[in-house]
Amino acid sequence: MSKALNEGLRRALEDDPKVLIMGEDVGRLGGVFRVTDGLQKDFGEQRVFNTPLAESGIVGTAVGLALRGYRPVCEIQFDGFVYPAYDQIVSQVAKIHYRSHGRVRLPIVIRIPYGGGIGAVEHHSESPEAYFVHTPGLKVVTCSNPVDAYWMIQQAIRSDDPVIFFEPKSRYWEKAEVDTAATLEQAYPLFASRVVRRVPADRPAQATLIAYGPTVRTALQAAQVAADEGRELEVIDLRSLSPLDLAPVYDSVRRTGRAIVVHEAVRTGGLGAEIASRVTEECFYSLEAPVLRVTGFDIPYPPARLEEEFLPTLDRVLEAVDRAEKW
Amino acid sequence: MTRMREFALPDLGEGLTEGEIIKWLVAEGDMVELNQPIVEVETAKAAVEIPAKWAGRVVRIHHPEGATVLVGTPIIVIDTQPDAGDPEPGADGDSTASSVASGSPSTGAGESAGAERISVLVGYGPRTEAPARRRRVAEQPTVESATPAPSTLDGPAPAASASPAAPSGPATPSGPPLAKPPVRKLARELGVDLRTVIGTGPGGTITRDDVYAAARAASQPELSTGPEFSTDVAPRPSTVAVFGPNREHRIPVRGVRKLIAQNMVASAFTAPHVTEFLTVDVTRSMRALARLREHPDWQGVRLSPLLFVAKAVLLAIRRHPMVNSTWSAETDEIIVKEYVNLGIAAATPRGLIVPNIKDAGRLSLRELADALNALVAAAKEGRTAPADMTGGTFTITNIGVFGIDAGTPILPPGEAAILAFGAVRPTPWVHKGKVRVRDVTTLALSFDHRIIDGELGSLFLRDVGAFLSDPEATLLAWG
Amino acid sequence: MLDGQAAPHGGALDPPTAPASAGHETGDSEFVQLLTPEGKRLTHPEYDVEFTDEELRGLYRDMVVVRRLDAEGTALQRQGELALWASLLGQEAAQVGSGRALRPQDMVFPSYREHGVLYCRGIDPIKPFGLFRGVEHGGLDPHEYKFNLYTIVVGAQALHATGYAMGVALDGKVGGDDGEAVIAYFGDGASAQGDVNEAFVWASVFQAPVVFFCQNNQYAISTPVERQTRRPLVHRAAGFGFPGVRVDGNDVLACYAVTRRALDEARHGQGPCLIEACTYRMAAHTTSDDPTRYRSASEVEAWQARDPILRLRRYLADAGLADDAFFAEVDAEAARQAVDLRERVLAMPDPAPLEMFDHVYAGGSPDLAAQREDFARYLAGFAPESGHGAETTGGGPRR
Repeated sequence: MSKALNEGLRRALEDDPKVLIMGEDVGRLGGVFRVTDGLQKDFGEQRVFNTPLAESGIVGTAVGLALRGYRPVCEIQFDGFVYPAYDQIVSQVAKIHYRSHGRVRLPIVIRIPYGGGIGAVEHHSESPEAYFVHTPGLKVVTCSNPVDAYWMIQQAIRSDDPVIFFEPKSRYWEKAEVDTAATLEQAYPLFASRVVRRVPADRPAQATLIAYGPTVRTALQAAQVAADEGRELEVIDLRSLSPLDLAPVYDSVRRTGRAIVVHEAVRTGGLGAEIASRVTEECFYSLEAPVLRVTGFDIPYPPARLEEEFLPTLDRVLEAVDRAEKW
Repeated sequence: MTRMREFALPDLGEGLTEGEIIKWLVAEGDMVELNQPIVEVETAKAAVEIPAKWAGRVVRIHHPEGATVLVGTPIIVIDTQPDAGDPEPGADGDSTASSVASGSPSTGAGESAGAERISVLVGYGPRTEAPARRRRVAEQPTVESATPAPSTLDGPAPAASASPAAPSGPATPSGPPLAKPPVRKLARELGVDLRTVIGTGPGGTITRDDVYAAARAASQPELSTGPEFSTDVAPRPSTVAVFGPNREHRIPVRGVRKLIAQNMVASAFTAPHVTEFLTVDVTRSMRALARLREHPDWQGVRLSPLLFVAKAVLLAIRRHPMVNSTWSAETDEIIVKEYVNLGIAAATPRGLIVPNIKDAGRLSLRELADALNALVAAAKEGRTAPADMTGGTFTITNIGVFGIDAGTPILPPGEAAILAFGAVRPTPWVHKGKVRVRDVTTLALSFDHRIIDGELGSLFLRDVGAFLSDPEATLLAWG
Repeated sequence: MLDGQAAPHGGALDPPTAPASAGHETGDSEFVQLLTPEGKRLTHPEYDVEFTDEELRGLYRDMVVVRRLDAEGTALQRQGELALWASLLGQEAAQVGSGRALRPQDMVFPSYREHGVLYCRGIDPIKPFGLFRGVEHGGLDPHEYKFNLYTIVVGAQALHATGYAMGVALDGKVGGDDGEAVIAYFGDGASAQGDVNEAFVWASVFQAPVVFFCQNNQYAISTPVERQTRRPLVHRAAGFGFPGVRVDGNDVLACYAVTRRALDEARHGQGPCLIEACTYRMAAHTTSDDPTRYRSASEVEAWQARDPILRLRRYLADAGLADDAFFAEVDAEAARQAVDLRERVLAMPDPAPLEMFDHVYAGGSPDLAAQREDFARYLAGFAPESGHGAETTGGGPRR
């Protein structure tokens, strides 16, 4: 996925001279996850540059650059370091289009590696997406696999709205075939969810798993094991967290009667609650069980030795499916 | 422009609700210019001077120095056209805002604004009236896709709005059944398969009443033993199966159904079943039943041939107790029981249940009738107690309600014999040497051949037939 | 200094010693001044500009009009027509002086008090009033007017200005007389904000063509500047690696001169500069504030004597560049503009309720569109009330 993002950024830089890449260590180092590897060499220091170590500065100056007509792609080095920039993001980036009555557009992309499962120290494994989904004026997306990564980063850069682009760092080294010959216009829409495991209509399906980012793989693995046990689960990758595209989720839940949301982020106030509320409202007459959530616990992210207990696993997902069936 | 302008105390600092008038800088009758300071007011945040909003002559000052007034209270009236002659009578003080009670005490300033919302710019001023709700007109009919019925959603769905989905009457379910969670729970408890129920709720959703109706409908025909019991019962379609797009309908086997099946298999393939048939002229029983119905002691009691069959069985068991027994494989014993827990087989949507009447052999005919009726009623309503469904020793199954003559019933596990009796039909019969039309039925007795041999089974069956063909004489003969 | 006590400020401003002779005098380069409070014209070795008579009269007119319009804002708030007003009373010279130094191609990033700079850009003075009346959040197109929207989060605009200036440099619009410069306005309180300091870092390491114009009006609401800094703010610049200059913020000529130089250097590619304009916030922080709680009448009086308009008037009169007729005409003109402004503010329409859903996203959002539809349906379900429309929800301004 890291390479897919790199290629996607490269395409974006080629397609539009106004695209800039800015962040800490994105230049010669190529980013701590190598996502911007080689880009400064090929596109120059004016367009791909290291910033001072100042997250608020990164986003604040990006606002000015965007006002000037550029399309800045900011990198926040780690999820836990986005908070100094949070004020610029929610008070300015999110609101300027609204404040200016539509006269000012801020086509800023803020890339943030997020999520855990990499054995890191404190502040390097956060899942802060809810803070941004809760902010009108921002669009929030997350890729779960290299193919999506390649296309979604380009689409986000093309968007005239500010986009918070969450990259699951535990999946940076996942590999997949990406057809780079296709065009952006042919790509799957940015703000759409996708059914990544569909159960044929002539077979019964027991539950719908709803996931995004790093937990999509977990959900797919859980579904694989469930199939071996004789239970068929549908899996949906949300991809877009704001706006949410839940129509495929509703269709699936109307069929299965059971929905389980899986996310690494903390449970209380997490996106699972929002999705549960909407699914309940839209699919009330179809529900065999309440919408369940498999999430991180309501604790600060634990030390790495405990993170596998904290993060949703295949077993926890299947346990939730078991519970859902007993209702 | 309105001539008399009334100025109300504004919110001077983002959410203030009142102010105290410190000093008037003008008096009634003075001429003032636009923005000329006219009053000093102290609020919780600051002491401020308020400039005149209009030029003209001060006509009225409403509140004296020292008064505390609520935001939104009119405090001064300015005549903006002082050269235009005397103001109209009664125009004084009632211009743009609602009427003001002049000279009212300062603390009552709020009420003078009347029930109407007080006009202020920022903050909403004090509320002086009781909370009330704005009047709503009838809900616009939700015709288009804005609020779709739950079963027809498409695209990133609009949020479900406050108004429910358009009522569209019962619809044949085209997908999984729609029912809210409490209704699903009810259906499970009553043994109703939602897939077989047609919903009459909005958008084809299944309501509680739909579930109750399905439960009642399912249990009624099988246990109809009253006047409805007749050979004229019309063939009717059984409950609807809903086929999927591949034209198949899959029903998971779970719970009670599964258990029943298991028991049936256990019974069928453990006890060697033999069935014997006897066709009987039951005209006398039918006539006796009719006479009972007229009897004053039996008024209001539901009577059906099942009662006589039950009585016949009970009397026959007394004469052939071996029929009321159990083959105990664990102990290599046949356990013959003196007590007769008489089971009546009932087919319900939950499956076959066989509630039994405990110690039926000791009941009088009347007691037996009551017990049967109670059993039937309970089964119809789905409230048969679990205790009533265990411990049976002999079972009667009424297949006559289906208009069927005879069958080869399967023994309930643990029982040695089961009697099926069929429809009572007017049939040509040889009666006293002549061919007459008589009420005729067929009895079928299946029995466990390990316990009951052909002779015993035959004797038992003949006794039952004997009672039914002449109940009064048989009763007298058997004592 | 203890809280709550108003005391003379260490950082303020001893007027430079001026030899007692008529005509132009030399000023103290530590604190650039070209016009004393008494109206005497000074010279300065580094910063000076030759003003024509017409220009001088023009600066006077600008300040008088700006003050008059600002007073109208305060009056309108007191009359319940604005939710709030942030007055610039006392800061006219800093804003008009710097504002008139701008070239058309320069870009302004204000805070929320720069109505004087806005006026000098030729922008309709009604523009900020929508914000303060509560009918909108913005009011103008930054690109059209080369003037950004008022930014209420303190100091945030310093970064925006810096980023914009970085964009100017990327565009290659730096290096000649036609180069573009950016000016960021903020106050003494903002100088403590992380964002402002980060902006200093970025502007210096990227050599961005941005002038940081700090109006040190001595107070951040009730907090005196001593709580924001131990040394005069101008000294920050050296720490970050760019020049700083301190100017008498009530001297319109000096403010003009200093700003023009800073902008010219920036537009020629010499990077950022910090201007500390020492002035005084004569009115309250906003109309919700009561300054009598934290500063003394005598302090305000002392600054009254340094009034920016008064000193220029004195100079113009003494130098024979303007007479009473002129001053009267200027007052009348200011009054006329104020009345016109008032009428237009009173005529501002309230936004319709459903408008609040507009412009959240450039590309729209289906979720939000659905919410809007639901709300529209909800509103349509109310019986029309007399005197209100079906649109009116509870609360909000009423005539």
